[in-house]
Amino acid sequence: MASISIPIPLRDRARTGLLGWLATVDHKKIGVMYMVMAFSFFVIAGLLALLIRLQLAAPNLQVVDPQTYNQIFTMHGTVMIFLFTIPMLVGGFGNYLLPLMIGARDVAFPRLNAFSFWITLGAGLVMFGGFIFGARSDAAWTAYVPYSNKTFSPTIGMDIWLLGLILLGIGSTLGAVNFLVTLYSMRAPGMTAWRIPMFGWAMATTAGMVLLATPVLTAALIMLVADRNFNTQFFTTNRVQLWQHMFWFYSHPAVYIMILPAMGIISEVIPVFARKPLFGLRAVVISTILIGLLGFTTWVHHMFVSGVDPTIERFFMFTTMVIAVPTGVKMFNWLATLWGGSLNLKTPLLMCLGFLATFVIGGISGVMQGSIPIDQYVHNSYWVVAHFHYVLFGGSVFGIFAGLYFWVPKITGRMFDEKLGKLHFWTTMIGFNVTFFPMHFLGLLGMPRRIATYDAGRGWETGNLIATIGAFLLAISVLIFIINCIKLRNGEPAGNDPWEGNTLEWSTTSPPPEYNFREIPTVESDRPLFDARMRVPSN
Amino acid sequence: MVPPVTRDAQLINDLYNVILIFAIITFVLVEGLLIYSVVKFRRRRADEMPHQIHGSRELELAWTIIPAIVIAVIFGLSVDTMSRMTARGTLSNPVAHVHAINDVEARRRVERAQPVDLVIEVIGRQWIWQYKYPGGDGVTTNEELVVPANKNVRLDMTAADVIHAWWMPEFGPMIYVNPGELSYVWFNVPPGDYIGQCNVYCGVAHARMISRVKALPQAEYDEWYAKQAAASSAATRPGDPQAGMQVFMNGSCIACHYIEGSKAQGRVAPRELTRFASYPTIAQLDGFENNAENLAKWLRDPQSIKPGTAMPNLNLKAQEIADLVAYLQTLK
Repeated sequence: MASISIPIPLRDRARTGLLGWLATVDHKKIGVMYMVMAFSFFVIAGLLALLIRLQLAAPNLQVVDPQTYNQIFTMHGTVMIFLFTIPMLVGGFGNYLLPLMIGARDVAFPRLNAFSFWITLGAGLVMFGGFIFGARSDAAWTAYVPYSNKTFSPTIGMDIWLLGLILLGIGSTLGAVNFLVTLYSMRAPGMTAWRIPMFGWAMATTAGMVLLATPVLTAALIMLVADRNFNTQFFTTNRVQLWQHMFWFYSHPAVYIMILPAMGIISEVIPVFARKPLFGLRAVVISTILIGLLGFTTWVHHMFVSGVDPTIERFFMFTTMVIAVPTGVKMFNWLATLWGGSLNLKTPLLMCLGFLATFVIGGISGVMQGSIPIDQYVHNSYWVVAHFHYVLFGGSVFGIFAGLYFWVPKITGRMFDEKLGKLHFWTTMIGFNVTFFPMHFLGLLGMPRRIATYDAGRGWETGNLIATIGAFLLAISVLIFIINCIKLRNGEPAGNDPWEGNTLEWSTTSPPPEYNFREIPTVESDRPLFDARMRVPSN
Repeated sequence: MVPPVTRDAQLINDLYNVILIFAIITFVLVEGLLIYSVVKFRRRRADEMPHQIHGSRELELAWTIIPAIVIAVIFGLSVDTMSRMTARGTLSNPVAHVHAINDVEARRRVERAQPVDLVIEVIGRQWIWQYKYPGGDGVTTNEELVVPANKNVRLDMTAADVIHAWWMPEFGPMIYVNPGELSYVWFNVPPGDYIGQCNVYCGVAHARMISRVKALPQAEYDEWYAKQAAASSAATRPGDPQAGMQVFMNGSCIACHYIEGSKAQGRVAPRELTRFASYPTIAQLDGFENNAENLAKWLRDPQSIKPGTAMPNLNLKAQEIADLVAYLQTLK
């Protein structure tokens, strides 16, 4: 660890002003830029979701025409996944926190890190610019061939969408390399494997998944671009399932790429607010890695009705269900961490409780639809829409908000307004469930996803109306969060450690200096700050 | 779920209800523990310090093994349900794929799976289902599949353009209908009207790709079929604008065509039909004058008149064409 002993000048080397942000290679500034970018896309994609919900509020509404509706849901899915959830969790939280948590001064490759961010933002602008200026894809975020080939999607919108995703894939892959190297080689002295914070383990697993899965998607995207523009025949001379295999080989692991960091976040927040160590740290770490590995073996469950050999399907039904076991272990370990603790019911913990309360529903419905006969009924219906929102909103978004309420005081040096935070939590919790729970019933009543409208008389009116009302409540909740962010300027000073944290980032100032730590700390346990507070001897 | 009308749908329904019991137990357990913890263990004094428990091997083993057993049971139940669903080939399933239409061997294997009384060829295309009856009478339908009730029916399905999916919720399982492949569906349903719709996103009018099945008692079915066979050759009465409007609005026309103030909001066709009768030509085809005779020709086979036009041959029957012509001529 020679590199960390090089003395770093203790004056603030950071450039200030706009150039300070544009030219920065500081992992914290890059992390903040990721967060701001991702949150902006979250708001935009949320507004698109409101249009979707308005259109479906009652039968045969024409808020937007079907063509526009299809472009809107395509963009909603794409933006929420690729420009919000992944950049927020991996780019935002990963960048800001990893070096701080492991006691490093920056990531291993700071310039590469900046490059990843700018290429991600560039990709976002390409895709979104296309959307604004009318070059829109309407092939859904899954872009199934042959619908997405030149014959059925002749416009340039599809190409722009594909190019945007290729760029995002590059940014994401480079970021993953960076995190893995950072975690491997830049940990503070004394930080052995079992002393890496849970969030670090989650990010390591996530980065590994990104590294293995993304190239397959990128390859598929390039093949489709070539099919569309250079008359290659990758997807036209092969069976239609080829695209689906390649797409889901990335996109199922992508679900774990979106949920594991959020699980990492709540694994950090819950112990702090329960004043207890994470119950069974090793079991949680092993479960995380197992989820990461098993995540690569389940993709065919998206294809149970699309014409895959039935023998193969049974294997994938098995792996799909098995993944519930390590997920269940984590669930119960979090509950056991709460059990017998001293629960400080501040907003960060409330968001974690929101995660646990809603994610469990997504987990359960996941096992249910993993059963082939049930999937043959609910596949592509609103049941599935309900399921993945329970996982990705109930899981990832609650995790993201938990992380923001927990770490924004560290990032800005100011505390959020706790009352507004609580209001934000409750409006989110109620709005979310009112929006998405009725969708289970809509799916069971035969409502397919991705329909621009529907006729009266199929029993779908009430559920859709309720869901639309819930969506507007959710919109209000996001507005409350934005107000809370604006109010941060006058927030109470946070100090170094407002929550009695466990991990190294709480030992430095808020916001941390560019070099993070005056002296690189030496780590003697998995909760270095807790132990310092307790003044217990090292174990 | 919608009330099942086939054995397969019933089996899925039963499996769902059994797994739902496990689901509800898990849900209540987790939410119960969560709520209990929040109430019982909320911080009461700022300086209280709970026991620092780092884990418990016994507990963790328990909540690894018990869920694993539950999962194994659910897996077993699912496999068992699959084996009890309508038989096909070597594996059990009420739906099946054959990956190449010209793979005669594979087709035979699947088609032998169970005896059937009626086989109907189905083509899914943007944004209609077209049904072709056997027997060489030229009987085809677009808006509704009429079948004899309580008989074993098999659909041999393929797609003409993109991927579609066949799903009649009351019948149970769905299946993708892929271009270049064959999808099979078996069912046997009591008399009634059933509705479903395409379940793979397939383009601008995906929401309007409705599938309707009408199951009639055998005698009524035979009567219907005889009428169709006759009507497919000649119209039996002069065109009726009201009937024509019915055909237009309930069929696949509205997927692509736009008529102001009606259900037809499709935007695929380049020209609105709101004032169709006032246009000088049909399909903007130079010299193809807009009159009843030409319109009938156009509706019978658009591709032969303007090759490459987006409008497919809808296999309309003579009577439907007469009615549609009468209706379209009222749009001034």
